[in-house]
Amino acid sequence: MSFDNGFLLSRRGFLAGACCAAAAPIVTPVSFAAMPGDNRLVTIILRGAMDGLDLVQPYGDPAFAALRPKLGLRPDTGLIDLDGFFGLNPAAAALMPLWQAGELSFVHAVSTPYRDQRSHFDGQDMLETGGNGKGERTGWLNRTLAVIPRSGSRKAIDINTSMELILSGPNQADSWSSQSNFALAEDEIAFLDRLYAGDPAFAKAMEEAKKTDMSADSLYADGRRGAGITDMARLAGGMLREDYRIASFSINGWDTHVGQQGQFRKAVGALSTAIVTLKDELGEDAWKKTVVLAMTEFGRTARENGTNGTDHGTGGLAVLAGGAVPGGKVLGKWPGLSEDKLLDRRDLMPTGDVREVAAAMLYKQFGVEPGDLTAKVFPGLGFDKGSLFLRG
Amino acid sequence: MALPNPTLAAIRYGYGLRPGEEPPRDVEALLAQIGQGASERPRFPREGLSGRLDTATRVISLLAAEAKARRAGNPNEDVRKATQGEARRIYRQDAMARLAQAIHSPLGFYERLASFWVDHFSTSVMKSLPMRMIVPLYEAQAIRPRIGGSFTGLLSAAILHPAMLIYLDQDKSVGPDSAVARRTGRGLNENLGRELLELHTLGAGSGYTQDDVRAAALILTGLSVDNRAMQVVYEPRFAEAGPVSLLGRTYQDDEGDGQDHVLMLEDLAANPKTAQHICGKLVRHFIADNAPEELVGAMVAAWTKSHGNLTEVYRAMLGHPRAWSDPGRKIKRPFEFMVSGFRALDLPERNFANLLRDMDDGDEDESPVQKAMDMAGMAARQDTRKKAGRANALTLGALQRMGQPVWQPPSPAGFPDEESVWLTPSQLSERISWARTVARIFGQKMEPSAFLEAALADAAHPETGRVIAQAPSKVHGITMVLASPEFNRR
Repeated sequence: MSFDNGFLLSRRGFLAGACCAAAAPIVTPVSFAAMPGDNRLVTIILRGAMDGLDLVQPYGDPAFAALRPKLGLRPDTGLIDLDGFFGLNPAAAALMPLWQAGELSFVHAVSTPYRDQRSHFDGQDMLETGGNGKGERTGWLNRTLAVIPRSGSRKAIDINTSMELILSGPNQADSWSSQSNFALAEDEIAFLDRLYAGDPAFAKAMEEAKKTDMSADSLYADGRRGAGITDMARLAGGMLREDYRIASFSINGWDTHVGQQGQFRKAVGALSTAIVTLKDELGEDAWKKTVVLAMTEFGRTARENGTNGTDHGTGGLAVLAGGAVPGGKVLGKWPGLSEDKLLDRRDLMPTGDVREVAAAMLYKQFGVEPGDLTAKVFPGLGFDKGSLFLRG
Repeated sequence: MALPNPTLAAIRYGYGLRPGEEPPRDVEALLAQIGQGASERPRFPREGLSGRLDTATRVISLLAAEAKARRAGNPNEDVRKATQGEARRIYRQDAMARLAQAIHSPLGFYERLASFWVDHFSTSVMKSLPMRMIVPLYEAQAIRPRIGGSFTGLLSAAILHPAMLIYLDQDKSVGPDSAVARRTGRGLNENLGRELLELHTLGAGSGYTQDDVRAAALILTGLSVDNRAMQVVYEPRFAEAGPVSLLGRTYQDDEGDGQDHVLMLEDLAANPKTAQHICGKLVRHFIADNAPEELVGAMVAAWTKSHGNLTEVYRAMLGHPRAWSDPGRKIKRPFEFMVSGFRALDLPERNFANLLRDMDDGDEDESPVQKAMDMAGMAARQDTRKKAGRANALTLGALQRMGQPVWQPPSPAGFPDEESVWLTPSQLSERISWARTVARIFGQKMEPSAFLEAALADAAHPETGRVIAQAPSKVHGITMVLASPEFNRR
């Protein structure tokens, strides 16, 4: 599908030009004037259930090596040590300068209140609505817009062809798309292969489509070469550098049931590229005032499965990046991986609520009152100013 | 006869399931759609039949006046461009209306038949600028009211319409010994004569010869188009004097009333080879690339018995057990794929109409007044252009990319209909791309498993249900429903 991508670049150029000219009515003067409204938040939804135990590996946990004989790494086999207990998957090496600069943290063993069913759809719904259960049809980031005290901070954008659930609701938010929305992730391709497995004619066409340049272009868009995610992050960064203060987009490709290593490397590469590109695009000053929060609907099984992958789990991992995060830490309460510590003897036990991480960032960046956070944004959540995620 | 499989009825003989629309329950209900559809005014041409004739003749006279001025050394670029722009806009509105007609009509079988016959009697908007306006008129005027009547009536209405005579160059053909030929050196054009035998009636390889083609072309001489009034006329000055022999009958035009072509059309319609050709084509279109012989035979028998009454032919098809066996033997063509996709998504009429409005707004965008506006105007215009591009990419642009643009068949034979053409790697990736785009734009709030049920009901394979339910995101789940083999087959 060929959408006019050149337009988006010119839109960005236009905003940049308008900034210098300071004359365009579309750019509200207040967004440039007041320092108090200068903080930014980017949320990234990692759709498909990101394997937190693969991204930030607890190599110091005595049970880890046995659970992950193929996927598990140690510092002497390529893992990048973070703190003597956790190590970073080398596919995320591009993020190490941020870690060293204190601009990157991870929160382990967090989840939404979603339990037991392990359905992507319901899990993502709960992550985006921020509720305790079904029924809520507005996104928590949208509800946040109404409770941010300073109006200058409120402009929000969804980098998508249409509003995703997290930003959907009664409050004004915009959406812009880049071509990269049409790239298929590796796990999505794998699902299409399954879809066509019972129909030889379709399976054959799909096999050939993946090999043929022209067809592959429309299947993967630019995603294969990593340019798609760059476009998306540049668009988000450009909007945030100007008058937008909240941006949201998704990165797909995390549902790694089979042959996890290759798929995971690509997805982690996309996430790293997104974060590094946001930093570059925002520039030093804006980056200092920015929090990037990447989160997923749930984690994956602690044990590898029989097809070099992992299945749907519970406890997961959130990523915090930006000049405004309490950096250089693996946060959260580590539950341990021995069999008796696992949820249902299979999943990393969640010890924290990912919504509390988000609430802490909303409080920190925009001064949203704890009362609003626990009543309106994340109903039912317990949160106060003493939150672990504010101390770092 | 009650239908053994209402889902199959909607998918094989209609444009698929739509939430809230009851699938047809019996053969009579399907057949009853034809009378109802034929009596209703379609959504195109937008200004109605006589309104469109007015528009077309006005545009044509504008173009003629400009051409005359140009020859005299006074070209008027503004008039020419404005006229081209108007013709383009009219075509786009009608093409979107044709999509809307197929999507929103509850008369799926009638709509599919209309598409079948418009394709059988192909004409193309690409022939000339005026044809952008006349082809939609042709479908509404000549084809749609007659698809349940006699084949003779349908054939005559299709052939004797300005769109067909222009498309196949009959308006340029004159008898080699006619008064005009002797004076101007113009001659016979066999295009319509050939396609009449090969495509419209007897069928390729049915035994006619080049002499027959020439004979048909000679009998057609005299028929032409009055461009100013956009009417079919008979010009004795163009006509070849008889007698002409075709397939064992001599056409004499004894009365000199120019009606020998009418006799020829009646004879061709009544020829047994025509019944065989058309019945086989119907079965190949609706049921399978390899048409079951016994089914075609039953339809030919009904054709013969009823003297070519098309409703009786459809009744024979729908009443045959082979009409309800082996689902999924055909690949939907792109138009059917897109229409059934929008139906499954239950896109409200208002939302679809907004897509056209976005495209129209994109046009106004080009006006010089807008260009001169300030930077705010610039941003607004970019937004407008983006929306127009998106609307086009969802509809007419996607049909173009998938290879079936509205009213633009690649040849007089119409669009191909075989699996080998429509199940290719590039076609599949185009369909996945389109599915993904509509899933993102219209499917964000849908539950994939519920959508699968709405789109395919019991036609979905259980394994497809499992794959959809496990999709890594709702958007990908919706995408896979639309990209599934079951949804792309019928």
